[in-house]
Amino acid sequence: MVKIVFKFFAVVSYLLIFRVLLAEPLLDGADFDYGEYLSGQCVTCHQSSSDKGIPAINGAEALYIAKRLVLYKNKELENEVMQLVASALDKEEIASLAIYFNSLEK
Amino acid sequence: MNNLSRRSFVSFALASTSLLAMPAISTGSARPKVVVVGGGAGGATAARYIAKDSKGAIDVTLIEASKQYYTCFYSNLYLGGFREYDSIGHSYDNLSANHGVNVVHDWAISVDSSARKVRLGSGATVSYDRLVLSPGIDIKYDSINGYSVEAQTKMPHAWKSGTQVKVLRDQVLNMPKGGTFAMVPPPNPYRCPPGPYERISMVAHILKERNPTAKIVVVDPKNKFSKQGLFMAGWEKHYPGMVEWIDNDTHGGIKNVNPETMEIETDIDTFKADVACVVPAQKAGAIAMNAGVTDGDWSPIIPASMQTRADSNIYVLGDASVASSMPKSGFSANSQAKVAANHIRGELTGSKVFAAKFSNTCWSLVATNDGIKVGANYKAGEEKIEAVEKFVSKTDENNAKRKKTYEESIGWYNGITTDMFS
Repeated sequence: MVKIVFKFFAVVSYLLIFRVLLAEPLLDGADFDYGEYLSGQCVTCHQSSSDKGIPAINGAEALYIAKRLVLYKNKELENEVMQLVASALDKEEIASLAIYFNSLEK
Repeated sequence: MNNLSRRSFVSFALASTSLLAMPAISTGSARPKVVVVGGGAGGATAARYIAKDSKGAIDVTLIEASKQYYTCFYSNLYLGGFREYDSIGHSYDNLSANHGVNVVHDWAISVDSSARKVRLGSGATVSYDRLVLSPGIDIKYDSINGYSVEAQTKMPHAWKSGTQVKVLRDQVLNMPKGGTFAMVPPPNPYRCPPGPYERISMVAHILKERNPTAKIVVVDPKNKFSKQGLFMAGWEKHYPGMVEWIDNDTHGGIKNVNPETMEIETDIDTFKADVACVVPAQKAGAIAMNAGVTDGDWSPIIPASMQTRADSNIYVLGDASVASSMPKSGFSANSQAKVAANHIRGELTGSKVFAAKFSNTCWSLVATNDGIKVGANYKAGEEKIEAVEKFVSKTDENNAKRKKTYEESIGWYNGITTDMFS
């Protein structure tokens, strides 16, 4: 009985912590392969070999990338090129790009 | 070496599955073959992405005459003294070393589209399952009376980067005090719409420092041009009184150029120059014409894939294509190359083909730390590549913003050349 109660609490804690509290809707629907394809548009400018003028984004936190893209999409961050890029991305595309760039070595 | 072994294994494994999936495209070799002609922003990018993303499953050959490629973009910055010549030169070594691209330094002379073979200058032939043509532009020397191949040393067009830009820079540096620099921009459509006007800015930058009483006269066959308000405001701000731009309606049309007397004759006036940059009309590179995939001067394409309308095995990228509403730019070619690479990989290996997305930004330098830009993103329509959203720099931007735009363009140059050649 104790074991079952313990298991119950373990499952509830897991669901609560990992699926509810830490769940990140910004990264929902991410598709790695699609992110890789879409990244072609980004790497014309963003390369890890150079950080001058345009930041390197390889290995950046996925959530950070997704939040920045949403801010550009909403025109809450300045830069016409990034606003343009983000305007053409839907939620799943932003998530896909975020997890793809996060997977790359810095 | 380990990497190579791993790649060979993967390529063998993938080639096997692709042959099982699509036996019809096999030409007898173990792997499907893609031949890319032209190693610029379209071709180098296409070759790199097809080889890289197929992980060796596709045999990629890049045919490019030059061993060292000098980018057309940023050649104006070399002209203006903002870049060293060597800094705009790039080799193809990494494409073979890192991605297994077979780089052949030769000219592609002709295409036999029914046998799917390309004949090279050496006489050799290379067979293909899919052919990517990214030959850039050819100059229509006869589009201006008096202009010719021979005339281009006296009145360089310098529209293909490389040595002609060096010639032009030497001529500007050695221009007589108080002399006249004349620019004849090309008629639409042409490679790099803001290019002639960035070039004028770069020449003005040199003259302001070395030859401040010199004048620049622009005899334009057009009545308006890209980023016109931004350029004209920049000329007035940085080079007041130096640049005179004369539109077609005002001069009445360019009748003739004379490289011996250095004269440019229009309907109502004749302009005498000490140095002249004359950029004639343009057309798709000869191999696109030869392959039979052009209609008039350019090659019409299917927007979703960049396949030519004439032959679905042949793709045309960049300046040589009719990719309107996209401008003819290196950025556009690079963007189109990724759409084509994704499509070709899908056709030859069965990988997933994603919807085409295109983008372009053109940065220009008006003066030291005064950068401007114009850009748009695009989607594939049925008939043409359609612009979705656009932007252009504003005339009232402050100095800090303009400096940032210039620095961003340096980041872009490093980015796109890495994307092409690494």
